[in-house]
Amino acid sequence: MASRPRFVAALAVGVVAALSLAACTGSGSTPAATQSGGVVNITLSHGYTDVEAKAVTAQVASWNATHPDIQVKLVFNGGNDGALQKTLAGMAAGSMPDIAYEYGSSMAALAGRPQVVDLTAKVSDPSFKWDDFYSFERDAATSNGKVYGVPALVDNLALVYNKKLFDAAGVSYPTNSWTWDDFRAAAKKLTNASVKQYGWAYVADGSEDTTWRWLAMLWQEGGSLLSSDGTKSAFNSPAGLKATQLLHDMAVTDKSVYLDQGNGNYLNLFNSGKIAMLWTGPWDLSSINSDVNYGTQILPAAAGVHSSIAGPDNWMVFNNGTARERAAWTFLTWLTSAQTHGTFTLATGDLPTRASETKLDTYTSYLAKYPGDAVFVLNLSNVTTARPNTKTYPQISQAIGSQMQGVLIGQTSPQDALNSAAQQADSALAAGP
Amino acid sequence: MSAAPLVGPLPEEDFAGRRARRWPSPWHFLLMPLSLLMLTPLVWMLITAVSTPDEARQFPPALPKSIQWSNFADVWTGSPFGHWLINTAIVSTVVVMSNLVLCSLAGYAFARVRFRGSGLAFMLLLTTLMVPFQVVLIPTLLIVKSFGLIDHLGALIVPNLVTAFGVFMMRQFFVALPPDLEEAARIDGASRLGVFLKILVPLMGPPLATLAILTFLSIWNDFLWPLVAIQSPENMTMQLGLSTFQGAHQTDWTLLMAATLMSQLPVIVLFLAGQRVFVRSIASSGIK
Amino acid sequence: MTTVTAPPGGAPLQPRTRPSLLRRVWWSDSLAGWAFISPTVLLIGLFGLVPVVWAFVLSFQHNDLISPGSWVGLQNYRKLLNDPQFTNSVRNTIVYTLIFVPVCVIGALLVAAALNRRIRGMAFYRVAVFIPVVTSTVATATMFGWLLDPDYGLVNVALNKVGIASQGFFRDPHEALLSIVLMTVWGWLGFGVIIYMAALQSVSADLLEAAAMDGCTRWRAFWRVEVPLLAPATLFLVIWLTINALQLFDEIFVTTKGGPVGSTTVVVYYLYMQAFQYFNGGYASAIAYVLFLAILVVTAIQLAVGRRFSHGQR
Repeated sequence: MASRPRFVAALAVGVVAALSLAACTGSGSTPAATQSGGVVNITLSHGYTDVEAKAVTAQVASWNATHPDIQVKLVFNGGNDGALQKTLAGMAAGSMPDIAYEYGSSMAALAGRPQVVDLTAKVSDPSFKWDDFYSFERDAATSNGKVYGVPALVDNLALVYNKKLFDAAGVSYPTNSWTWDDFRAAAKKLTNASVKQYGWAYVADGSEDTTWRWLAMLWQEGGSLLSSDGTKSAFNSPAGLKATQLLHDMAVTDKSVYLDQGNGNYLNLFNSGKIAMLWTGPWDLSSINSDVNYGTQILPAAAGVHSSIAGPDNWMVFNNGTARERAAWTFLTWLTSAQTHGTFTLATGDLPTRASETKLDTYTSYLAKYPGDAVFVLNLSNVTTARPNTKTYPQISQAIGSQMQGVLIGQTSPQDALNSAAQQADSALAAGP
Repeated sequence: MSAAPLVGPLPEEDFAGRRARRWPSPWHFLLMPLSLLMLTPLVWMLITAVSTPDEARQFPPALPKSIQWSNFADVWTGSPFGHWLINTAIVSTVVVMSNLVLCSLAGYAFARVRFRGSGLAFMLLLTTLMVPFQVVLIPTLLIVKSFGLIDHLGALIVPNLVTAFGVFMMRQFFVALPPDLEEAARIDGASRLGVFLKILVPLMGPPLATLAILTFLSIWNDFLWPLVAIQSPENMTMQLGLSTFQGAHQTDWTLLMAATLMSQLPVIVLFLAGQRVFVRSIASSGIK
Repeated sequence: MTTVTAPPGGAPLQPRTRPSLLRRVWWSDSLAGWAFISPTVLLIGLFGLVPVVWAFVLSFQHNDLISPGSWVGLQNYRKLLNDPQFTNSVRNTIVYTLIFVPVCVIGALLVAAALNRRIRGMAFYRVAVFIPVVTSTVATATMFGWLLDPDYGLVNVALNKVGIASQGFFRDPHEALLSIVLMTVWGWLGFGVIIYMAALQSVSADLLEAAAMDGCTRWRAFWRVEVPLLAPATLFLVIWLTINALQLFDEIFVTTKGGPVGSTTVVVYYLYMQAFQYFNGGYASAIAYVLFLAILVVTAIQLAVGRRFSHGQR
């Protein structure tokens, strides 16, 4: 007896199994490139969205149309924040794209691995014009003297300000000879507690976002992050103290700084006229509402040095066999050439990665379309130092960011913060990669 | 029987289920504010979804001047939203059905059947819940890869055909059932499976509905595993798809919220349909 | 030979011809038991246990997750003992769990009881309570970030109106963890509610009638009749919420990222930093295993205590 329920149960299990099988074998194609009859298929993984995604899709389509022997497939990596995790997982599983967009900060983690292609010989080919890339970009793509990436994106930090708020407070616009004192005084005047208006916004979430703005200030004062052999920290210095003291003075004493939690609210507030000045990059320009009259200027300087900091990202090539590597390099050379990238920037408003892009015919239209970018392009020459590409950098960044967070909320004194950060950084460096 | 019922059916009904004409229940005073509190994000998401990008980029958030219903259409036409929906629906449905069967079988066995090694097996299952996924991410990936499932929907289905969570939950619900139910049937010679299917499962409506919804939800909202297991755009599931609206520095919140709202609709609809099963008529829940 | 043996459980005897019923029951039980659980054991064993063991092996290595690692024995574990950041994360995790679990369980119980009625519009209320469970962590975090913004958030505006000073919430090291508790209770309440609602359905109406006839008030009947019957569900919820609370990660990742000044760095977040930011895969695995042992012990204790409370039901 009881055959009916048994039958039903068996049927249910069978249906589930059949569906699983169907789902398993049904949809799903192997993204890994294959070689068939002279055509090499390669994949390019990226995190572009919106305008940039459209632009890169168009460029790849035009390449595929004119190059039947090398076909490129675009794969979205889930957003660049997850790119490294996905790349590492892909490496572990043995399925990687041929070209991938990686944050500059990922270079340390990926450089030197057998799956990553060493591009040093390839970029030194004179036709590639490696020196056309800005020096800090080349530094960011290099690790231990070898080149592992080609610059995909470059940006930098500059001053963006709300002209209307300046007019209302009677403060004259920032100039290219502003000092930290000028900056601090302006922020104070632009702060109005009764309407909750702040002169400056700083990202205070303790992450690299907190650290890298501070690094720009450190470098302006002539300080350095690490000793020249890279084994000890060097930022607990008078230069470091001056930079930290400025943060303290503005955030705690003057209370002229809005502390952003890392959720990007500072931009929404900027759009609503609650914040007068930002230290940010060109990526934020397209999110500024059309009714906000803004201006851009290079960062205020300490001792006349207007150093800024950049966050270049790289295209990296992965080892999937000689044929695909060659095809990938051919495509990448085209993608990162001045002409192609110039077209890309015209569509997206990204900054030129090669100096020669400023000489292109399209450059004037670029500036006309993105007037805010002018200062950022200029500012590229103010970027003289790059963050070190060592495996311990994330820990150093975390140490500094966390301590600066404490300074900004008034919990830690500047000197204590530097002492703690230096101690943590040194122990991380001593432990080694 | 005229005593006022206490918990369960309430002043609004007597035990025969007849509705009494009364003032609105005082419970509304508690439930309404609570519900509004819970609904705040949905309201915010809706406001953002019908705003223009400029309006969405202000803080404090303001009400949109005109309703941009077009955002919803833009999501459908501007992205493979339908595709993500289908992929996720396939995975979720298969996983839910499989879990309903396997978790109840195993849950019943652990709860009611005395067999050697059951305690150990149960503890071992529980231990898989105690290690954070980030740590087992790569080993799991390698195992799935050895089955050749990478970049197939199968990679999302097979590891989830049964979950320790589901087994644990069903076990607890089986434990709560009175033992005399099945003992009577077993004396009559029914097999374990028979007792299970004919007597116990029909009583497990609410727990099964709960398991179905929670399993569906966990698959629907899963991001990290599909991120590393899926590569081709045509195999993307919902959360992966939603991430394409979020750039490294820019996010089109209006489209993202419109897409997110639409993506949560199936789960909410499922819950609405299922929540009826939660409350059965009192007359049928007794053990007579 | 006809033997009549009393079956376990004390059900009324039925005159049957049945040799050695107990022995038969034992064997068929073992077979049935294993048959019922075998697909489950197979699947979870393969996709759950094997990776767990694998990662355990990893914890004895100095490994960055990609290249083959080098054996360092117990070095990773020894490092943990001297790591102030790890100790800090443990403290934060324990504080969080001790607040989150009771608040969530009791809250869910009360709300489920309130929802277990037939009044007009109940479907709306139930869906409303469930919505936070469906809402993605990112949307929840964004919303709470706005509501709890120290300068412009609605909560501070409301507090100011009743004369309380603005709070720092996510920005204040002393309040950030509590703000996370608030956010996660909000997100998990609905989960507990549906578990309890399902459990409440199996409470027999006869018992309630009997209690009513004995003159029991509604309140007392709830606490003395229904709640004890909910013990298995409560045990499940306490264990599941504890396991999740001890492994808190997503909400920290999308809001405070462990700050301010490490006040919300919990164990799994610290593990994530070690594994995916600092590339100390072996060290991260060691952290995971210490956490695992802690969870195992806590769960075992909870199960033992739970068994004592519901032994009448087994």
